[in-house]
Amino acid sequence: MKPAIYDISAAVDKDLLRAEVRDDLTVMVAGQGGDGSLTIIALLSKALLHRGYHIYRTSDIASRIKGGHAAALMRASTKPRGNLGDQIDILIAFDLEAVQKASNRLAPNSIVIFDSSREAMPPDLVPETALMIPVPFSRLSVRDLRRDLFKNSLGFGLLGRIIGLADKEVESCLRKHFKKLSSAQLEPNIKALREGQAFADKAGISGRNSILTLPAQAVENERIFISGNHAAAMGFMAAGGRFFAGYPITPATDVMNFLERNLPAVGGVVMQAEDELASINLVIGAALTGVRAMTASSGPGIALMLESIGHCGSAEIPIVIIDCQRAGPSTGMPTKPEQSDINMVTRGGNGDYPHIVLTPGDPEECFYGSILATNIAQRAQCPVILALDAVCHDNFTVPRFDLERARIYPGKRVTESDVAQMEEYRRYAITEDGISPWAVPGTRDAMNLVTGNERNEWGLVTTEPDMRVAMVDKRSRKIETVRPLLPKAVEWGDVNSPLGILGVGILGGVMTEAAERLAEQGLHFHCHRPRTLWPVLEDTIDFVNSHERVYVVEQSEGAQLAGLLKSEGARADKIVSILKYDGLQFSTAELVATIVEKERLA
Amino acid sequence: MTKTYEIRKPIWCAGCGHFGVQGAIQYALQAAGIELHETLVLAGIGCSGTVQNNIGAYGYHAMHGRVLPTAIGVSLANPDLTVIAAGGDGDGYAIGGGHLMHALKRNANLLYVVMNNGVYGLTKGQDSPTAKTPLAAPEEDPLDAMMLGLSIRSTTFLARAITTRSDQLNELMLMGLQHSREGKGMAFIEVLSPCVTYDDTYSQWMNKVYDLDADPDYRNDDRGKAFFDLNRLIEQSLIPIGLIYHGEHASLQSAMLSDVTPFHSLEDQHAGHFNQHMEEVLSAYAV
Ligand SMILES: Cc1ncc(C[n+]2csc(CCOP(=O)(O)OP(=O)(O)O)c2C)c(N)n1
Ligand code: SF4
Repeated sequence: MKPAIYDISAAVDKDLLRAEVRDDLTVMVAGQGGDGSLTIIALLSKALLHRGYHIYRTSDIASRIKGGHAAALMRASTKPRGNLGDQIDILIAFDLEAVQKASNRLAPNSIVIFDSSREAMPPDLVPETALMIPVPFSRLSVRDLRRDLFKNSLGFGLLGRIIGLADKEVESCLRKHFKKLSSAQLEPNIKALREGQAFADKAGISGRNSILTLPAQAVENERIFISGNHAAAMGFMAAGGRFFAGYPITPATDVMNFLERNLPAVGGVVMQAEDELASINLVIGAALTGVRAMTASSGPGIALMLESIGHCGSAEIPIVIIDCQRAGPSTGMPTKPEQSDINMVTRGGNGDYPHIVLTPGDPEECFYGSILATNIAQRAQCPVILALDAVCHDNFTVPRFDLERARIYPGKRVTESDVAQMEEYRRYAITEDGISPWAVPGTRDAMNLVTGNERNEWGLVTTEPDMRVAMVDKRSRKIETVRPLLPKAVEWGDVNSPLGILGVGILGGVMTEAAERLAEQGLHFHCHRPRTLWPVLEDTIDFVNSHERVYVVEQSEGAQLAGLLKSEGARADKIVSILKYDGLQFSTAELVATIVEKERLA
Repeated sequence: MTKTYEIRKPIWCAGCGHFGVQGAIQYALQAAGIELHETLVLAGIGCSGTVQNNIGAYGYHAMHGRVLPTAIGVSLANPDLTVIAAGGDGDGYAIGGGHLMHALKRNANLLYVVMNNGVYGLTKGQDSPTAKTPLAAPEEDPLDAMMLGLSIRSTTFLARAITTRSDQLNELMLMGLQHSREGKGMAFIEVLSPCVTYDDTYSQWMNKVYDLDADPDYRNDDRGKAFFDLNRLIEQSLIPIGLIYHGEHASLQSAMLSDVTPFHSLEDQHAGHFNQHMEEVLSAYAV
């Protein structure tokens, strides 16, 4: 049996128009960069957000300006998910390559809308039971609207009908999305939308006669829809961050873009530097004056910054660094996610120095994590790194951030009047908690020397062995001082199970879903997601050692997370690594299958 | 008065030019009436990179080559501070060379002093980018940072001095300091500061300097003519010194800093303006 193919002249089978209810839908729109795939997914996300669904949105784009394959994907679900569904329920393909790329992920009952302007669709690429709808997007768009550009609005018009959105709901989404366009630019888009709806009319898809339906969901708490990068940048601002310098790099540039738009209004400064060495040293300069300062980059840029990060650890300068990890080594695959900077951010740099690495799992954790990072940097007077993975560019629905929770902890700053009470002031005073009182330049009578050379309490360079040891020990004590403030791991699943799954960052979503499915098969797992990477917290080591077998899931070839845990006391014989480094995200099905197979052999 | 660190005695070899540079910085601070607690002296890595310990102001020892971006960060974050960046020719023209042109382009309010001795002193005498006849590549011409400065159209203060002419050095240092303090931008002063241990160039340089300040035909407000004249002098194997260029251009601070809130104070954090702004930012993501 070949898949049913409907064209513009024929109506869709009546029994397909059953308005089948879905509570979980994964949609992919793909074509060449510039085809408008991202716009359709953005519009659809908006519509379904309004209907009360949790949305997870991601993209898969070539690192090029225009052209190159670009796919946008979105999952709408009644539960918060943070990953895509295993299978694509609806595909809009602007070219053949899009169908080829999606082919092995299409659900048996998927709906495939294909741009038939240039080529006919080879039916063997989609499941036999799929519904194929060829639509000459380009042709219609060029014929009636004179621009290829409006394909996206046209596609959205049709898509809205297919999933049972009301025409006015769809139009209001479009108007909101394009609110910055002039009416001359907006009108053709509205026309294109109607064109898409007219096309649906011809196929008999309208109103209640839709193929699918996603009923409106009640929403209890106010939600926002945001990426990890924007959330982290916002957290930095909320925690008093006022200086940012960066150098463009995918996928970190978004942090700089966000701050360029928003920081100057509160008197902050955002600078685009000449390279990452300059970025981090501009930030160090700002930090020296007591201003809360941050930079953001990705693997290659962080590698350049390592000397400076270690320097801040030594010289006791508080800065925040966001590392938006991408597939390495070297330039690697700029638009593909990975978690392979773990070695670098935890162990990189020369010498031993105190620092902290947090690894948030969703945009909400990025926001509060960034507040914490900004405050802890000040408290401990050391560098704090936020290691993000695909969470940096993917958008999630999360509860609206509570700005009231953003507190500012000044740490051990001393003012002119404090200094006036002191007999002497030593910048690097040896203290029990490892943190020295800090007077910034401009403070009368508290002149001091800041250096990355080993030094005495006054900041004067020394190599005297006892002082060296005292200084190193003092610096390492500060980490113990702030340790209680560091976010503990999140745990869920079957607490009594001897089997565990452990992973960080964005993998929380896929771990959750995999564990649910494994439980349905009678395999129960206890799950653990650390949120502090460095120092490795005891609860994580305990988790590994107190289970019989723990699957450590990570996106790196080198099993960097597993290696880190082992070096900090996790027993090697307990750990089974599951590694992925093909540039794609883990899917639940894949993780479930891998675990089932390994359990069978165990 | 609270006791702070004890000002270090310089650790330089007797006769090192760096003594003179330090003296000029101290002279300028005093003559300009700038208080030490309002001054941050940032230094690079090298023999030159110890000057911050000897002055009594706030001091910062940057990483090798990074003194300029750090100083720019300071000058933006607290525009009230007097910012003096200093370092060697290796620090500023080799490992930090990439930052130099961008700093010159940005024109931030700070004074940058390079102690040029043509060698890497601290690592024991290797050639620096300004070495006259580098052993490894004798056919290469030394870098001339004043020519570089002239070629970047937003520079506002370029000068070269030699430690043996201390009056001129002091005067230029004071002018440079005032230039940056008055918000006119970056003052870049290269001081010929011989290294007696690894390449004693005193007599050689003293014979070759050509004092532009004493030349009535030289125009330090004409970039094009200055470039032409410097090039001609260099072709004659002379070393031009004096105030090489003095002009006007918007400073980085005037371009980047607003008067919204003094951003180095966080007291306004939970004040109305800030909260309202954050709520607005957040609302853009509401569903
Ligand atoms: C990243 C790095 N590379 C190399 C060094 C070693 N190093 C220290 S000082 C120096 C050269 C200093 O020469 P210069 O800046 O001319 O200063 P001088 O000692 O002559 O005053 C070098 C290469 C270092 N500290 N850091
Ligand atoms: S080695 Fe040269 S540059 Fe260093 S202190 Fe001695 S004379 Fe000065």
